[in-house]
Amino acid sequence: MARIAIDPTLDAVMEFTNVSLRMPRHRRRRGGGRRQQIRRMAGEVRRDEIEVLTDISFRIEPGESVAVVGPKGPGRQALLRLAAGTLRPDSGTVRRNQPVVPMIEVARAFARMYTIRQNIYIVGGLLGMTPQQIEGKLPAIAERAGVSNMLGRYLNAAPPVMRQKLAWTIAMSVNADAYAIDQTLVVGDRPFRQEAWTQVDELRKQGATFLVSSDSPKQFRRFCDRALYIADGRLVADTSVPEALAAMRAARQAARKADEAGNGE
Amino acid sequence: MLVLRDLQKKYTRFRLGYLWTLLEPLGMSLVLWLVFSVLLGARALGLQPYLLFLSVAILPWWWFATAIGSATRIWRRTGAQLRISTLPTQLWVMRAMLVALIEFIFSLPVIVLAIALTGFLPGPLIVLFPVGILVQFLLMYGLALLIASASVVFPDVARLVRIVIRAMFYLSPVLYSVSNIPAGAQFLASFNPLVGVLGLYRIGWWPEEASSFIGYGISLGLCIAIFILGLVTFKKFEQRILKEV
Repeated sequence: MARIAIDPTLDAVMEFTNVSLRMPRHRRRRGGGRRQQIRRMAGEVRRDEIEVLTDISFRIEPGESVAVVGPKGPGRQALLRLAAGTLRPDSGTVRRNQPVVPMIEVARAFARMYTIRQNIYIVGGLLGMTPQQIEGKLPAIAERAGVSNMLGRYLNAAPPVMRQKLAWTIAMSVNADAYAIDQTLVVGDRPFRQEAWTQVDELRKQGATFLVSSDSPKQFRRFCDRALYIADGRLVADTSVPEALAAMRAARQAARKADEAGNGE
Repeated sequence: MLVLRDLQKKYTRFRLGYLWTLLEPLGMSLVLWLVFSVLLGARALGLQPYLLFLSVAILPWWWFATAIGSATRIWRRTGAQLRISTLPTQLWVMRAMLVALIEFIFSLPVIVLAIALTGFLPGPLIVLFPVGILVQFLLMYGLALLIASASVVFPDVARLVRIVIRAMFYLSPVLYSVSNIPAGAQFLASFNPLVGVLGLYRIGWWPEEASSFIGYGISLGLCIAIFILGLVTFKKFEQRILKEV
């Protein structure tokens, strides 16, 4: 019944075979856009789906840190969600040999009507911790996220940045060996960000596996051994980090040139 | 699973106003009783004592209406949680329905109160009361799965459901008894799954309610059918739900 079963016999942390995924195009535009709705009713705009990932295959070995890079688009996040098993591919198979912590938009899962302590239990539970584990880690989590003195207060008491920090801290304290991290989760003030990456480093030394989606070259030059370059839903290259960065720069320049050419006319 | 049970507790704890789960249906029974029995003097409507007759049906009705209403909004509330969890998607619907069930069970003292007020004790057929709860739960779970799937594709379902629930209130024997319906329409009424369910609740007090076995058969059969249909539909729509939320 789970969305993607875990297969302990697999010798890689995860394995994508010919994975394709379509996503609805207007995902976030719920309710808004009356005009869009009217047009849709009139049949002008079809609520279509776009293929965000096409025929992707790769393997990630234990202990590897892999960066997912490429132009902005829904493909990368979808890839992370597939890796974490919160989404299923439309075709192809995703196999994992252990739970992968989905560090994607964790802060959105907080519930406003609950206290911060309750939220730690809820989100921690969703990420796969048992209540007993959370209880043991609660002081450490609260300390790291800087919410020790407001555990009993409602979530509203914590400013958004603090919530993001809390989300990160909870996700990091899950006892897992594999993480799928979206860069947007690494926020907050500078010391916190640095600490966050230091944590990643420590876990890496302990043999944890990471899949990181990031726009910041600095980060993955430091952490990742390998990069998956994804553009227009295709896996263009599965290379080392410097090469992927070069490809990214080249693509960006090409796009800029095309833009300038377009404006010049 | 542990997690969800934990969530459950929190949900109920959050409802600080436990009294409201009692007062709301009780108030509704009282108002309806005043209007229909005392003011309009409609003695022919339903069975006596009318206050008890009403509250036995109002409570399950309340349960039905609020839970189905919440099913239409389920992804708006839990979408973000769904995105970071790998638990079976159905559990989210199950959780909403379980919360509603617990609320319903907490509201049962209203019936006890009504019994005390009217002094009308049930017969041995009261054993069917829990069966009614079970069947209604299956019915509601099926319906909730259907609605949850539909609301992803077609967000307007929420409004539609609200109207349908309102209509169902009058189309179901909450205010009246099945025997009040003209003989010709009684057969039609048995296609309303709630007729069978409400019958199971009332049978303990008013065995004559069980007059038409075929009618109950159809009605309760429909409950099971909706349950199965809901499971199948949800399975089909699961991927779509995961993408949209």
